[in-house]
Amino acid sequence: MINPVLLIAIPLLAAFISVFIQKLSWVLLFGVSIFTAISGFFLQKGMFMIGGWKPPFGINLMIDDYSFIIIIVINLLFFLTLLSGMWELKKNKTILMVILAGINGLVMTGDLFNLFVFLEIITISGYILAASSDKYYSVFKYLVLGTLGSSLYLFGIMVLYGTLGTLNMADISQQFPNVSGSVKIISLTFVFAGLGVEAKLLPFNAWVKGIYGNTTPLTGPLFSTVFATGAIAVFGRIFGQILVPDSTLIFAFIALGLITFIFAETSAMASKKLRELLTFSSIGQAGLIITMFMIGGFYAALIQLINNAFAKTILFSYATKAYKSNGDDTINNMSGLFRKNVMMGFGFTVATLSLIGLPLFFGFYAKINMLQSAFALNMWIPALIILGSIIEGIYYIRLLVKLWNPGEEGQESSELAQSQFVIKNGFSLSLIAVLIGIIFVVSGIIPDFLTENIAKAADSLSDAATYLSTVLGGI
Amino acid sequence: MSQYLYIALMFVGIYGLLSQKNILKMIISLNIMELGLNLFIISTGYIKEAKAPIILFGNEGNYVDPLPQAIVLTAIVIGLGVTAVALMLARNIYKTYGTYEIDEIRGENDD
Repeated sequence: MINPVLLIAIPLLAAFISVFIQKLSWVLLFGVSIFTAISGFFLQKGMFMIGGWKPPFGINLMIDDYSFIIIIVINLLFFLTLLSGMWELKKNKTILMVILAGINGLVMTGDLFNLFVFLEIITISGYILAASSDKYYSVFKYLVLGTLGSSLYLFGIMVLYGTLGTLNMADISQQFPNVSGSVKIISLTFVFAGLGVEAKLLPFNAWVKGIYGNTTPLTGPLFSTVFATGAIAVFGRIFGQILVPDSTLIFAFIALGLITFIFAETSAMASKKLRELLTFSSIGQAGLIITMFMIGGFYAALIQLINNAFAKTILFSYATKAYKSNGDDTINNMSGLFRKNVMMGFGFTVATLSLIGLPLFFGFYAKINMLQSAFALNMWIPALIILGSIIEGIYYIRLLVKLWNPGEEGQESSELAQSQFVIKNGFSLSLIAVLIGIIFVVSGIIPDFLTENIAKAADSLSDAATYLSTVLGGI
Repeated sequence: MSQYLYIALMFVGIYGLLSQKNILKMIISLNIMELGLNLFIISTGYIKEAKAPIILFGNEGNYVDPLPQAIVLTAIVIGLGVTAVALMLARNIYKTYGTYEIDEIRGENDD
């Protein structure tokens, strides 16, 4: 059993050491990443006080089934990202270790201000990593929106602090239903806007195209899987359990999530470049998952979160690698590229089909649970979800046909029309692609192992009473 | 009542972010916004005619809330870090495009 504090402390310590010993920094980075990826499985559950102060007076870390599964997924994804982008590490190793500490703390923390600090740690590291693409103006837009978002979040939680006199999540979730309506609306709106920037919801996501569209093999999978999974998981924790919105606001939030989903999928359909298409697909998935969290379908939301995270690892790794090797990622120029690297093609195809939610793949369980929990509520939410999913299915299958099949549309395909592109340094990517592809297929046929754990996590998210008694029971 | 003044200062910063086209002026607006926010946080812990929250012998009576002060200390440090990164980006934008004006920056997303 491993104390969860170590998951934050060891990456931070290694980051400080790596500043002084530059030559060993890659050993430290891979060592720390392997440590966190393995120790996620052996994490001790329960509540951990920091500095001996009992909550709600001190900061606490909370490991319930929900943060347990998110920690495992995030640390595995971080390791896969390192493997996929290991030729791009350069001088970013220290920042990567800080990100690992920040993202683990973000998921585990039980204090709203502590969450703000971890959020700032990962976003500032994110600015620095994104600046390695030399698109400084896009990064500047990200910085302005990110800082504005976290300031609004801080404003929201300070309004709550001024009303309730506490920042502890459990304490706030206990007292929040008694708060007067106007304070509820102000604080929820500001917290939603602040977290919405990182979670890529529609009015706050102007930065995403410039950042995700210009990614390298390291930052692409890192932003689209590790950062996105962490941000959406925090979103689910806060709005699913801590600050549960009442009926006045929840429909506004659901509407924002659905609008994000439909608009982003429509934009993806019109994209001509692979990274841009995947960017809009990421935004759409974020909108879909947040909608599911808002309407209370935690189980479906978690399955889709994990499904999306693993699928996007492959898709973004491949797209960024193709751009890195050839200096271009226009889809029309990539026709028939999978003929040259069949293993990557297999992983990419399985990941895509699972993301759309076809039967025989893991994503099918996400889509069917999503529709079940949406139909239980009313009729127009599932209708919009199906509409968005159909758009998503069309452009992804069109992409797959293009990438497997050389030649123009409507003409006989020939090897002559095959793309001249190559994938350099593709060995680790092939390995990851086959591994994740096999996981998707196997868990699509035998889903019990994964779904049981996800169901436990969803139960712990909807069971606020156990959370309260675990944190505040010691008083 | 001074809270409203600080919130107004925060919105002055947001107005600056929306209206200014110069990158350095946007960074200044960002700082004004953070300043207003920090003052607002301090004001949530204010109690009239209370002392600083330092325990001394013979020091009696009310104390102001120390937690917002600790939070503001953290927020100031974070703001400093963000400003440093923003200035680094501004410098690099100037080196790449030769200008600080947003309207004159072209071709970032067209590759």
